[in-house]
Amino acid sequence: MNSGFRTAVAVEARKAAASRVMASITVLLVIGVAVLALGMLIAAGSSDELLLAKLGPLARLDGWAGLVGIVSQITSAGGLLAFGVALSWLYGREFSDGTVGGLFALPVRRSTIALAKLAVYLVWAIGAAVLLAAAVAILGLAFGYGATDASGAVELLRVPVLAILTALIAVPAAWAATLGRGLLPGIAATVVLLVLAQVMAVFGIGAWVPIVAPALWAIDPATVPIGSLAVVPTVPAVFGAFTALAWSRLQLDR
Amino acid sequence: MTEAELPRLEALGLVRRFPGGAGVHGIDLLVRPGEIHAIVGLNGAGKTTLMRLLLGMLRPQAGTARIDGIEIGEGPSSIWAGVGQLVEHPLAYSELDGRSNLIVAARLHGIERRTAGALVDRAIAEFDLARYSTVRASRLSLGNRQRLGLAAALQHDPALIVLDEPTNALDPAGVILLREALLRRAGAGAGILVSSHHLDEVARIADRITVVNAGRTIGSLDPAGVDLERAFFAMLHADDSEREEIA
Repeated sequence: MNSGFRTAVAVEARKAAASRVMASITVLLVIGVAVLALGMLIAAGSSDELLLAKLGPLARLDGWAGLVGIVSQITSAGGLLAFGVALSWLYGREFSDGTVGGLFALPVRRSTIALAKLAVYLVWAIGAAVLLAAAVAILGLAFGYGATDASGAVELLRVPVLAILTALIAVPAAWAATLGRGLLPGIAATVVLLVLAQVMAVFGIGAWVPIVAPALWAIDPATVPIGSLAVVPTVPAVFGAFTALAWSRLQLDR
Repeated sequence: MTEAELPRLEALGLVRRFPGGAGVHGIDLLVRPGEIHAIVGLNGAGKTTLMRLLLGMLRPQAGTARIDGIEIGEGPSSIWAGVGQLVEHPLAYSELDGRSNLIVAARLHGIERRTAGALVDRAIAEFDLARYSTVRASRLSLGNRQRLGLAAALQHDPALIVLDEPTNALDPAGVILLREALLRRAGAGAGILVSSHHLDEVARIADRITVVNAGRTIGSLDPAGVDLERAFFAMLHADDSEREEIA
């Protein structure tokens, strides 16, 4: 790891750690998913036919598998939005705050700064995924699954895996925020990704499309081969490279 | 030419035209070691575009810019370690306090972590920022943010300094601090390019004043001259009339 990258990571980590935006997104993601999951669990336990119909096959699952199924569905959509907003802020704020001018004429290359932002994002996303899994574990224990479904607890592992996969497919938002010079283009790109992934997943197509595979895995894990999840990292690899290239070629011409 | 005689900054025939005709239309410029070179002009004359071209924020359609004899697009990124700049927005992140902002700026300019603290302490003293060192930049006034941004641009004692309208939003005390900071650095051998439309302020510190109009340099003013304002407007008027005749 060269010293420019180390420096850029230290700087970006300092900014992210001090930022209320990143802290708010983490809290919203963890608490939001937990509260929604709680609501759906209560709904699943009711005898309301309409609600049960909306929950579909999830309503028939009990214990950890049911909880994790619900959490996965929420995370594949809501989590993608949260990760996309985080990326849009990390990259887009330099433009909307006007600080991008200060990132020129430095011995640290702008492409290195762009990659450092991605590294900080990924570390943050892993942390958020672990926190989310912990929140879901607490929720499950509160519902007594620790006693009634001890063997099903292994399902919990799917939560951080899905959260991280979802974080990986959000990376095109970084590229959009760079090309569009602000937060909104990044958020718009996230919404497009979200719609694409959810619609294709609902129709059960695209197991081998990297941006669809996590959402499909969330709905119905059996239909998604492990190999297709393994290609998900191509999304951050390709769009991370596009983003670094866009930062290195950046001009303040608009 | 020996290394000591190399200009800190050199622009040769820089061109960057924007749709509508604005931009920079062939500017040559030199900044020598120890020299404060001011460029003056009205709003829209091309001063900021020129500075962006010199700092790699824009790529020229023609011409080149060199720092210590090295062409900026082609040299290693390490050539920028000796440059300090503030063009438009100060590098002040709203979520970081004054001191953290200066640490971040120092690190990005290639200062090692173990020496950055002492450097920043010195800058806080030089720019009288102690009151704001633990205050988030989001809570600073525009003038104090500018002062913080200037400290961030100058604290690593760059050999080349490029500042666009640096007195913007500064209070009179800030203007004096900046003036002294620039004179001190020029005295130590830094080459300084500064743009302004405050002719009085420029006359106090500049060794050379170049007038920019409609994307070209149209002449120079004597910093020791009397009635700089009249000379400035006479030069602009003559240039505008000449261009109208050609058109």
